[in-house]
Amino acid sequence: MASLSLFSRLIVRPARREPARSLLIVLAVALGVSVVLAIDLASSAAAGSFRSSMETLAGDNDLEVTAVGGVADQIVGQLAILPYSIRVSPRIEDHATVVASGETVPLIAIDVVAEANSHKDQQAQNQNVDSRKIETPKIDGFKHINDADAIWTTRQLAGKVGDKITLLINDQKRDYTVRGFVPESAQVNGNVVLMDIAAAQNATGKAGHVDRILLKVPEQPGFDVWQQKLRAVLPSGVELNAQGSQTAANRRMLSAFRWNLGILSYVALLVGAFLIYNTISVSVVRRRADIGTIRALGASRNTILAAFLAEAAVFGFVGAVLALPLGRLMATGAVRLLATTVDALYISSRPGSLSLSGESVVLALVVGIGVAVVSALAPAREASLVPPTEAMARGAREYTIRVERTRDAWIALALALAAALAARFPAIAGKPLFGYLSALLLIAASALAIPALVFWITSVASTTLRKFMGVEAMLASRSLAGSLRRTSVLVAALSTAIAMMTSVGIMVGSFRQTVTTWMDSQLPADLYLRPAGDPSADRHPTIALDLTDRIARLPGVESVSRFRAYEIQYEGLPVTLGSAETNLSRFYQSSGFLSRRPAKDVLKELLSPDAAIVSEPFANKHHAKAGDVLTLPLGEKLVKLRIVDIFYDYANERGYVILDRSTILRYLPDPSASNLAVYLAPEADLETVRNEIKASAAHSEVLIFSNRDIRHEAIRIFDQTFAITYALEAIAILVAVMGVAGALMSIVIDRRREFGLLRFLGAASSQIRKLILVEAGLIGILSNIAGVVLGVLLSLVLIFVINKQSFGWTIQFHWPVAILLGALTGVYVATVLAGIYPARIAQRLNPIEVVHEE
Amino acid sequence: MRNRLAGLITIFLIGNSIAVSAWAADYKVALPGYHYQFPRDHFNHPDYQTEWWYYTGNLRASDGHRFGFELTFFRQSISRDANPSPWHIHDLYLAHLALSDISGHRFYHEERISRAGPGMAGVDENTGVIWNGNWQAQREEDAQQLRGIGQEFDIQLNLKTQKPPVIHGRDGISRKAEGVGHASHYISFTRLLTSGSIELKDDTYKVEGTSWMDHEFFTESLDLTDNGWDWLSLQLDDNTELMLYRLRHKDGTIEPYSSGTYVDAQGKTTFLSLKDFSMTPGGETWKSSQSKGTYPVRWHVSVPSLAIKVDVATPLPNQELTSAIGPSYWEGAIDITGQRAGIPLHGVGYLEMTGYGVAHGASVAP
Repeated sequence: MASLSLFSRLIVRPARREPARSLLIVLAVALGVSVVLAIDLASSAAAGSFRSSMETLAGDNDLEVTAVGGVADQIVGQLAILPYSIRVSPRIEDHATVVASGETVPLIAIDVVAEANSHKDQQAQNQNVDSRKIETPKIDGFKHINDADAIWTTRQLAGKVGDKITLLINDQKRDYTVRGFVPESAQVNGNVVLMDIAAAQNATGKAGHVDRILLKVPEQPGFDVWQQKLRAVLPSGVELNAQGSQTAANRRMLSAFRWNLGILSYVALLVGAFLIYNTISVSVVRRRADIGTIRALGASRNTILAAFLAEAAVFGFVGAVLALPLGRLMATGAVRLLATTVDALYISSRPGSLSLSGESVVLALVVGIGVAVVSALAPAREASLVPPTEAMARGAREYTIRVERTRDAWIALALALAAALAARFPAIAGKPLFGYLSALLLIAASALAIPALVFWITSVASTTLRKFMGVEAMLASRSLAGSLRRTSVLVAALSTAIAMMTSVGIMVGSFRQTVTTWMDSQLPADLYLRPAGDPSADRHPTIALDLTDRIARLPGVESVSRFRAYEIQYEGLPVTLGSAETNLSRFYQSSGFLSRRPAKDVLKELLSPDAAIVSEPFANKHHAKAGDVLTLPLGEKLVKLRIVDIFYDYANERGYVILDRSTILRYLPDPSASNLAVYLAPEADLETVRNEIKASAAHSEVLIFSNRDIRHEAIRIFDQTFAITYALEAIAILVAVMGVAGALMSIVIDRRREFGLLRFLGAASSQIRKLILVEAGLIGILSNIAGVVLGVLLSLVLIFVINKQSFGWTIQFHWPVAILLGALTGVYVATVLAGIYPARIAQRLNPIEVVHEE
Repeated sequence: MRNRLAGLITIFLIGNSIAVSAWAADYKVALPGYHYQFPRDHFNHPDYQTEWWYYTGNLRASDGHRFGFELTFFRQSISRDANPSPWHIHDLYLAHLALSDISGHRFYHEERISRAGPGMAGVDENTGVIWNGNWQAQREEDAQQLRGIGQEFDIQLNLKTQKPPVIHGRDGISRKAEGVGHASHYISFTRLLTSGSIELKDDTYKVEGTSWMDHEFFTESLDLTDNGWDWLSLQLDDNTELMLYRLRHKDGTIEPYSSGTYVDAQGKTTFLSLKDFSMTPGGETWKSSQSKGTYPVRWHVSVPSLAIKVDVATPLPNQELTSAIGPSYWEGAIDITGQRAGIPLHGVGYLEMTGYGVAHGASVAP
């Protein structure tokens, strides 16, 4: 009971007396936690859902047979007649765009006839089991079994059976008739279109192949034995893996991305932590008298410590609870941005449903309470050190704890050196742990260097300020230096947010500039064609074969270069395998290679048998270097490819292996192209040729981009991709500015007596107002200076350590001056604006009342 | 006569305009005077819409354990389009595999449906294989090798031809009803000496016995047996065989074209019309808990012209194949006791009964 009344006296009453302070801590926790939560929810929704409808409809299988360029039809037959009790389910898995809505949906083809057997098996097995477990939808009878236009869809795609739907598949539009619906029990995430394999081979141009063969094997004599038995009957280039290994590979690929994003989200929390620390510190000072009284009445130091930590925990808890709906709300916005990024850089995905699981709630509570308690540790300790005699002292003691600014500056220097050292360590398990350590050390160093900076700048500035802005400005500057600790914490919080914005801004800006420069060399053709529909890193729809020839024969066209891409897996990670006509065209003609050899020489070498070039992200992920040999399954064979060189590439993060077209055609004799690059004759007119191509492509749904269009498009995708990082920065800044407003508020309350005295001594209320605004402005300037310095250092770590180790891109450092200046001015203005309300409060203080109060 | 497929077919034909229209134009019907050529006629007849190869047999392991088995391959034509894709469906292939563990009092059965696809099911005259997935019958000159890989059991059997193929009916057709084309081409191997192995659960049984094989092809637009049928194959211990069937109409009458065939010890055949034999339920019945059908599992058979009078009973009442794809039916091993001209006569055989379960032609699957 005693401890409860203590808690009430020391914590609850002050909390009620100063609702603004409590609200500020709770809000700081809530905002920080909600950002962490939002990113956690959104990234798992955006990244976790890719291919899930394919997997949902894949059913309960053990193994999957895949091959680059598809598994030959005959293998389905060979597996079906093996004298083993296995279930063989061939699949074609592609994408179609619903023309009416523009939505791109998975297109899955099954053997409708054989599937009747699985359905029956499942019924037999699941007679007493939850019927929702039936993954494969039953196709109603065998009606329309040979109709090339028969599809089965999810309910959202059509009103009723018999409705017509136009689908864009590859570059062709086709009309389909809905013959049935995928039952709700299949629990497909999002929309899906089902077809029979016969119809799908025809529509997707995959005649003679299926994409995957799913196998269900008996439990006995064990998975490994079955894998060996089945491996033995398959050609060497055909892969046999546990079902879902593709999904597993995709998850692995995305894990680095999600990890980095997660880390970024914690920056907002860090900014929040500074503010909580500051707010609690201030409140400890204000409660010194109370603490002293309680100590005098016999409370131990540990009791005081516990009381303050408990207070922080309560604030953390309330903040975390508030963060749940707030985070959920933010996640709704974030998930769209993230899905775009994942689509552009990695793989077709569709945002899954956002679910606030038990885990998310635990995460929010742990992070919320954790950050509040950790931030409160130092102030709580300080509170516990208040001597009982303090209660006897008349009046409250001012905020006079000394700051060891010189000692701290030396520690800061040591930490900065440690940061520089940490930046030199390699990644651990693909994660740039030392990179982040380096960043963290830099932030800590900056926090410790700030008191010295503030002291130095304010003392240098006060005289100058007096000269130009009057005595109020000098007072403001002196006051900041006087309450050095409080000022330092505020500046540290705001400058961390600014540094984050600056560093990410510099990184993204540098990246953008690098990509722009790279495109100059990478996109030499005049016109580019690709099938219509959403572009995504892992989808490679093809262009009708005859179109290429027709375009090549058009007047004004000098040459057409065909590029074909396939999805493959290398060392358990998805990779794009491409073939280009390097001999014929100027493709990659001016590409940059890591070896710095002229492109002409590298490409000549690429023409030799079984030669390959790989992209920089590929080399980075798989530790490949020029001269290494890659073994890739191509068609039915395992082919050894020699890496001739590594090229710079920023198109996607998955990594490329590029072969010459002549090499790949030996193993995968499918001549269709995924993209065409058209080179015009010198005298040809771009618009004329473009219109002629449009006319000859009348029966194909292809998009034609001029060189300028495609650059524009690429930059648009680039900006979309990084939209999420801007959003995160904005939130961190918001948290910081809010903190400044709150801190100024508490300064005003804290310094009532001071202001009262000033007014007593004849200061006008407008002077008090000016004093506060100048303080706010100074905090803004100090934060901007510290933030920019820290931000530039962090950007170096981001660009050359974290990015390089996580994604493998070489980014040229570049100053995005305009963006940075704009953003910094914005922050400065926001800080000054944040001072307006506290200034008005201070202005309204009644001097007599205030002085009497004390 | 295994006309049950008519029932199966109904399912596919409901609303299947392709198959119905294809029937009229694209297929031949069974007509008198058909000239049989073997081994060609043991294989596929894509000009006819429906065809099946049907194996049943009674087997015994060296330890006395008794089994019956059924392995059947059906082909039902869906279209005769010139589409070259292997995935295009010209025919649907169905197959049934059943094992009657008579000594163990259990009946196991499985069914499957496939398209020909890239080698998943079909009939190949060159290799002599008729298959549906990993169930197959391979024909050699005087023998047939059967293989059936089930979820719970496997069978591997070698069937040696003891008598030449029998052509049922008259003038090359086995009639089912009045009118041109209401008939089938129906060939049987009535006595196949069988040896091989059965794997059931963790046990392997070396087995021996006799099997029977039917092969029938025809084109029919309608299910003429509107209430089902009863069919018997009897392998008697005096080295003779009998095949008898009766088609039941809804009004309780028996189709006058119901018939049978007698094969003597030398393999000579005698056609039996409905008036030449009697085949009546013997009172004992078995009720299926799944299809709710009540089957007469004991029959009295007499062929006065051959002085044969026998009683047909089953050692295992539950030999019903409940199907999720087609109709359910009873197909099982039987024991024969009786006499011929006063001399005791024994034997084994198979009995098939259709149309006793829920709505004829419907699946019992939920």
